[in-house]
Amino acid sequence: MVSGCLARVVYSDVKHNFLIHYIVALCILLASPIFFSLSQLDSILAAQPLELYVPLIGVVLMTPVFLPEQNESIYDIVRSKKINHDIVCILRLICSVIVILCMIGAYVLYMKNCNSQVTVRYFIGSSATALFLGAIGFAFAGIGRNVVVGYMASVIYYILNFSFGTKLGYFYLFSMMHGSFIEKKWLILIAFCMASATFPVRRIIRN
Amino acid sequence: MMLFCMECKKIFSSLTYILYSLLVILMIVSQYFMEGGEKVYPPSQGDYDYGEKIVEDHDLIMSTATDALTVEFLSNRYVCYPFGFYKAVHLDNEEQAKIEKYICEITGLDSEGIAEKKKNADVCYITDGTHDYGEYAIRDMPISVSMTYERFTDIMDDVDDILGGGSDYAVDGLVYKFSRVPMTYEDAVEDYNSILTDDRVTNAYARLFSDYAGIVLAILPVFVAAALTAADRRRRMSELIYSRRSSSLRIVFTRFLALVTTMFIPVFVFMVIALIQILIRYNGADIDMTAMFTLPTFWLLPNIMAATATGMLVTEILSAGAAILVQFVWWFMGLMAGGTAGLSGRIGKFTFICRHNALGNRSGFIMNWNNFVFNRVFYMVISVAAVLFTVGIYELKRGGSFNGIRLFGKGSIFRRKA
Amino acid sequence: MDEKIVIKNVNKFYGKKQALFDIDLTIEKGMFGLLGRNGAGKTTLMKTLAVLHKKKSGDINICGVPVESAKEIRAMTGYLPQDFSMYPNMKCDEVLEYLGALSCIPKAECKKRVTSLLRKVNLIEHRHKKFKELSGGMKRRLGIAQALIHDPKVLIVDEPTAGLDPEERIRFRNLLCEVAQERIVLLSTHIVGDIEATCENIAIMDAGRILWKGTVHEILENARGHIYTANVEKQFLPQIKKEYIVTGMLAQTDYVTVRIVSDTEPDLPNTVLTEPDLEGAYVYCLHSHGCDIVGGEE
Repeated sequence: MVSGCLARVVYSDVKHNFLIHYIVALCILLASPIFFSLSQLDSILAAQPLELYVPLIGVVLMTPVFLPEQNESIYDIVRSKKINHDIVCILRLICSVIVILCMIGAYVLYMKNCNSQVTVRYFIGSSATALFLGAIGFAFAGIGRNVVVGYMASVIYYILNFSFGTKLGYFYLFSMMHGSFIEKKWLILIAFCMASATFPVRRIIRN
Repeated sequence: MMLFCMECKKIFSSLTYILYSLLVILMIVSQYFMEGGEKVYPPSQGDYDYGEKIVEDHDLIMSTATDALTVEFLSNRYVCYPFGFYKAVHLDNEEQAKIEKYICEITGLDSEGIAEKKKNADVCYITDGTHDYGEYAIRDMPISVSMTYERFTDIMDDVDDILGGGSDYAVDGLVYKFSRVPMTYEDAVEDYNSILTDDRVTNAYARLFSDYAGIVLAILPVFVAAALTAADRRRRMSELIYSRRSSSLRIVFTRFLALVTTMFIPVFVFMVIALIQILIRYNGADIDMTAMFTLPTFWLLPNIMAATATGMLVTEILSAGAAILVQFVWWFMGLMAGGTAGLSGRIGKFTFICRHNALGNRSGFIMNWNNFVFNRVFYMVISVAAVLFTVGIYELKRGGSFNGIRLFGKGSIFRRKA
Repeated sequence: MDEKIVIKNVNKFYGKKQALFDIDLTIEKGMFGLLGRNGAGKTTLMKTLAVLHKKKSGDINICGVPVESAKEIRAMTGYLPQDFSMYPNMKCDEVLEYLGALSCIPKAECKKRVTSLLRKVNLIEHRHKKFKELSGGMKRRLGIAQALIHDPKVLIVDEPTAGLDPEERIRFRNLLCEVAQERIVLLSTHIVGDIEATCENIAIMDAGRILWKGTVHEILENARGHIYTANVEKQFLPQIKKEYIVTGMLAQTDYVTVRIVSDTEPDLPNTVLTEPDLEGAYVYCLHSHGCDIVGGEE
């Protein structure tokens, strides 16, 4: 019964609160041919759109997880219900992650179809960057209780990557463009830690 | 003046401004002070590589550009960077025919002549994904005697249009792309000397400083400006302020000035530090005491102004989030364009983020001096115009005839109270 | 299971600032009114009961369940905050269905309840309106409906009538009375009229403490002999306001009838001891506990 209720909650959430973000993310991907070609790219060039551009959908999809309840009184209402609100947020987050993976997967397949040199590693690498950027937005929006803070944090981190480059070490977002994949597993790991730490930190700060 | 001080105080105590200052400090310290702005020493004889320099040699440009065009024409694979991203352009038969006609005109060869060259050239088959194509090594295309440089640039302009822009053949880029020669020891010494004599040290460092600082200053101010502008609405202060006596012009311009002034302060502090550092390092040299202030101010202020004006204008019309998005896209394209334009020297009339990522190469910078001056003045004027436009929007909102475009309904994303 | 809320020695802090001091209260079935001025701690107490805040010490027991088992408590309490708000783009019935799902109500039952509740709160014609298109009163009524969606044993309503027009207010009170037939309804307000019209039992809070608890009848009795009316000339009004606690004024043609709360009979012309009203009794209660009362307001 509980799972059925959760399914209804998620369905309603997607319909009312998240559709717009999904559409924005899709538009970002669909707009990419304006900026660069996706066909006949060698492995280094293929990393460019997959690292510089596609991961921005992570910011778009993961940052607004807490957005619907940014209004304090809405937050109180949903919190006074039986199902723990954190569970709802986790479900939303999972939905976003799934959508990100699907979108990037489709994108990579399309590139492959256009004779670009992409492999499963590229898919994982691009997803890792997207999830990391998204997790920054998610954590800052959740802890700062303001979505704009989340967008700002992830955009600023993205900017930092241009200026600092490989000096960021394991946190460097664009390593694939330099042919390195080691950073990616760290990005995934840290993204996961950041996202899971957000909930307890949020609660501690509130109390 | 009173209002100005109050606004400044408000900005100083805002979280976004503190964040802005920290990031500016972080960027400038890590990039300029720890990395780029080291002391330069005279080149030593016998080095393997002194780098390249750009000479404006029309014959050289024509011959190397024609070679490159022929190579790409024969593979029907033209590499372009329209937004700083790699884009391989393939042309249809009709367009290929046009390119061929142009090559014929430049070289004086006919179709058979080109086919002959193709047959004699070394070919290297490249597998790109699952697709193979041949790249022909052609380095000796002749140039027709009757070909003038003016006609040549016209042709190149047209070729760039056919390719959809962003190609190597764009006229204002020809000289950077096809007219590079290796520097000799003498050139390197000359370059070094010009830092000391022509630039009087500070000018050279000021360019590098501006190059590093310009990148962040083209985006970060938008956060502060958007947050300040959106704060009124979020704290439900708009109506209170609307009902005061001050004119919209005064309110909006005071804010703009306050934002630009406060955001310039951290940059200014670093100019002072940079100057002190130079004075210590080049003790005794003939140092221009003002250049560390004048050039970066002229270079960076338009960046701050433009990003601030965008922040204010778009926030008034749409929302803070939209402002950040707009500035981000602008910055991103500017950055990518700057990257492909070569990190030093090439500054166009409308390049938003001007780059000159080198201490030397004064001549490369001076070559674009007129463009640079036009460019900076242009962005200042545009910014002031955008602020004036903001005044208009503000006035409309104040009169109640415009309430901002609500992208996501009443409780839109960026409007809900935090 | 006994249907009452038992609160014992509850303390609550916001950082270092103490918001609730040793609250002791037993709330039985029916309407219970919590009266106090803004900032008295009513909302804090209610949020603690709805498990939105954690208490520092003490015991709270709702219908036999300690407040620590948040899940069970949430399953049997309905909460309506001061300013009820919901995702602006959801329609009325979608709001209820969403919140019903959050309360783990099976789908079929949820649909049925949504219809009956919308009918009850008189929103059935507006069920397809988006939340952002509703008026203030409609939002508040939808708020009650959402708090009742899982048929809770306890309904917690925080200042429900603030900002409503008189007509909406009466409608809302009646709705609450109806709902209170079969459950505990805890109502907080700073508007005395709301309590007077609906509640049998009340408690008065100030500065995080319970000043007084009992029935409406008792508080009125308590104030008996301390509320006077006097007819005074208009020009003396500022003077009188300075010296006495004025709870009401009625302007006549050439004089003003004032209601005064005082321990001793005021030295004014035509002073008459009158039957206490709840407003006067409330002010007297605050006054007799040493609270500052300025200008006869609040």
